[in-house]
Amino acid sequence: MKRILALLMLTLLGSHPLLAIEERDISTFMQNNIDLATTILRDKKIQKPEKSEKLFAIFDSIFDYTLMAQLALGGKQWASLSASKQTEFTKLFEQKLKVSYMEKLDLYTDEKIVIKNLEKIKDARIHLTTHLMKNSEVYEIIYKFYKDKNNSWMIYDVDILGVSIIQTYRTQFADILAKEPFETLLEKLKQPDEPAPKK
Amino acid sequence: MRLILACLLSFSLIFASEYIGTTSYSNDDFEAEFTTKNDANLFDPLSGYNEIMTTFNDNFYEYLLRPTAQGYAYVMPQMARNGIANFFDNLFFPIRFVNNLLQLKFYNGWEETERFVLNSTMGILGFRDVAGEELGIKAHDEDLGQTLGHYGVGSGFHVVLPFFGPSNVRDIAGLAGDMWLNPINYIEARDANLLDSTEESLATTAFYTINKTSLHVKEYDNFKKDAIELYPFLRNFYESRRNKLISE
Repeated sequence: MKRILALLMLTLLGSHPLLAIEERDISTFMQNNIDLATTILRDKKIQKPEKSEKLFAIFDSIFDYTLMAQLALGGKQWASLSASKQTEFTKLFEQKLKVSYMEKLDLYTDEKIVIKNLEKIKDARIHLTTHLMKNSEVYEIIYKFYKDKNNSWMIYDVDILGVSIIQTYRTQFADILAKEPFETLLEKLKQPDEPAPKK
Repeated sequence: MRLILACLLSFSLIFASEYIGTTSYSNDDFEAEFTTKNDANLFDPLSGYNEIMTTFNDNFYEYLLRPTAQGYAYVMPQMARNGIANFFDNLFFPIRFVNNLLQLKFYNGWEETERFVLNSTMGILGFRDVAGEELGIKAHDEDLGQTLGHYGVGSGFHVVLPFFGPSNVRDIAGLAGDMWLNPINYIEARDANLLDSTEESLATTAFYTINKTSLHVKEYDNFKKDAIELYPFLRNFYESRRNKLISE
């Protein structure tokens, strides 16, 4: 038991953003993270809020939320915002992603995740393909990494069954901003659980 | 032990928060990656109608389909519902088989045939997916829309169909073709019909839909919660998913 805990701590340490993730380490690193996340998910003794807190500690070190927020909004729109608005939007967007993830936790039963393939798309892009197995069904999840300015590999998007999370938000944000001001978008992000009722 | 863990956790949180708001990227690569299917040049001539139809379908689901499916799930044990879903999936074999062949996926077509024979006999009319569970032979879901896409037919603009939900010009053409192969449709011009009338066909399709919905209510509700704007959310999901299925 102690040994396992020590291992867990090591992986936690390993997930630290200060230690840049090297290209050759991505597979092992992600496998460790996935294993760790699965252990947390399966632990019936941990309550849900604590569970997600632990999981987010892992995610925070590998997801580049700022870039994700920027990509979801689109470069032009992003550039037109003041720094404080950018930060506010990023925070809300990060929160939206996390709330959405937390809601998925209820659906978790005993799925296994295995790493299938690591593909270097170009110099600064890597796609890591994983398979999630649930009652003999297989779902493909692709984590998309890029090399940030610290030469560390960070995730900027996730494809689930061929659907990009960033693209999903991007189309919705574009749709909202085509009709309404930016403030409305912020308002909508603040109430993540209620899809806006149609007039 | 706990304390150390908590310390570690808070550390990674602190460092993570340093990331927020510090950098601004002007990477054209990223923009290009997500602009390809971008919304400004997205051709969506029916968007007005589509939005209304999305709302209609959503109301249909919320106020009719879901309550019915939940009531049905209350009286029908899950095992039976799984069996019924398997039974229908087995019936749809002709659609998958023909479209696998049309795409020259002969091995997949062969596996589909194996599945149909095994499940219809040992699986007792398809109620049990023996081939999938015992032998690991999986279904290869293909439809005519995918076949058309496979041969390079573009999706055309997005159309939301009443009851069916999101679709596009190509997939509607596909849907029309697949109707011919669908055993639970009643088509007078067809030589063999499993059912005797359009009414029976509609009732069967309704039953199939209620049964299938009852198995996925939780997932769908959870999925829908992610939406900020339902129409673009579903449109993007549908189109991306279809592209992925066609590429497989």
